[in-house]
Amino acid sequence: MALQREKVGTTYPSYAYEVSREKIREYATALGETDPRYFSDGDDCVAPPTFAACFTVIKGGAAAFADPELGTHPAVVHGSQRYTFSGRALRPGDVLTCTPRIADISTRGANEYLVIEVLCEDAEGHHVVTSQATIVLLGSAPAASPDAPAAAGQEVAS
Amino acid sequence: MSAVRPIEVGDELSPVTAESNLAASVLYAGASGDMNPLHYDLSFAENVSPTGGIIAHGMYSMGLASRMLTAFAGGPEHVLEVDVRFTRPWPLGTTSTFTGSVTAIEDGIATVALAGTNESGDRILRGTGRVRL
Repeated sequence: MALQREKVGTTYPSYAYEVSREKIREYATALGETDPRYFSDGDDCVAPPTFAACFTVIKGGAAAFADPELGTHPAVVHGSQRYTFSGRALRPGDVLTCTPRIADISTRGANEYLVIEVLCEDAEGHHVVTSQATIVLLGSAPAASPDAPAAAGQEVAS
Repeated sequence: MSAVRPIEVGDELSPVTAESNLAASVLYAGASGDMNPLHYDLSFAENVSPTGGIIAHGMYSMGLASRMLTAFAGGPEHVLEVDVRFTRPWPLGTTSTFTGSVTAIEDGIATVALAGTNESGDRILRGTGRVRL
């Protein structure tokens, strides 16, 4: 089953994510970060920008991939990713409300492109970060046109 | 008079180079919560990977490009946007280098072109960042 285009615009239930100091350290360590604020015990502790991956990539896509009416399948790669920030860093103790939405569905060659947007706000309702992930579903485009680029599936990697 | 000259279009960022190996990939999987076995399990990767082997998380490459961008910006609070495409797989056991150059400055916001290049010459990532100067 191909992706159902009428699902564009669907918003899934919000989930909460609490930013913790130890998770920031773990993430910063995995990237070889050296900024001492990522490892601080004090009030100056902040998270690297792509720490947002911890609560937007898998958690953000979970509801869409669990939606039987959307038509996803497991043969996927992560095609592109965008984060937009409001000019403040994530900090320990931030409790974010994250709301996923199907922003777009398209096809290119044999593949389908599912764009999942996750809007994340802090406890005061201020925007902190928006994630936009383009997930490539390999080989499931309906009636792929014969002149489509054959190598489209090799253009992407997770 | 400041000894630091202002940022200009054409300025190059200090590059970041990293090897993707199994330890780094497992660490990133745990830290990010992305446990896709494509990034650490060879028997799984052999069947589904575009390269026939284990590949790094795309988000690991984005994180390294963002690390470079954030250092240039002077901290995460100055980063307004990071936007990348994962254009080729990054095979485990290889090294990639992330580079950036300032392409525009407007209203105190610099736009930076980002690229990640594998030791094979493959361009694994490209994108843009926007930072408040």
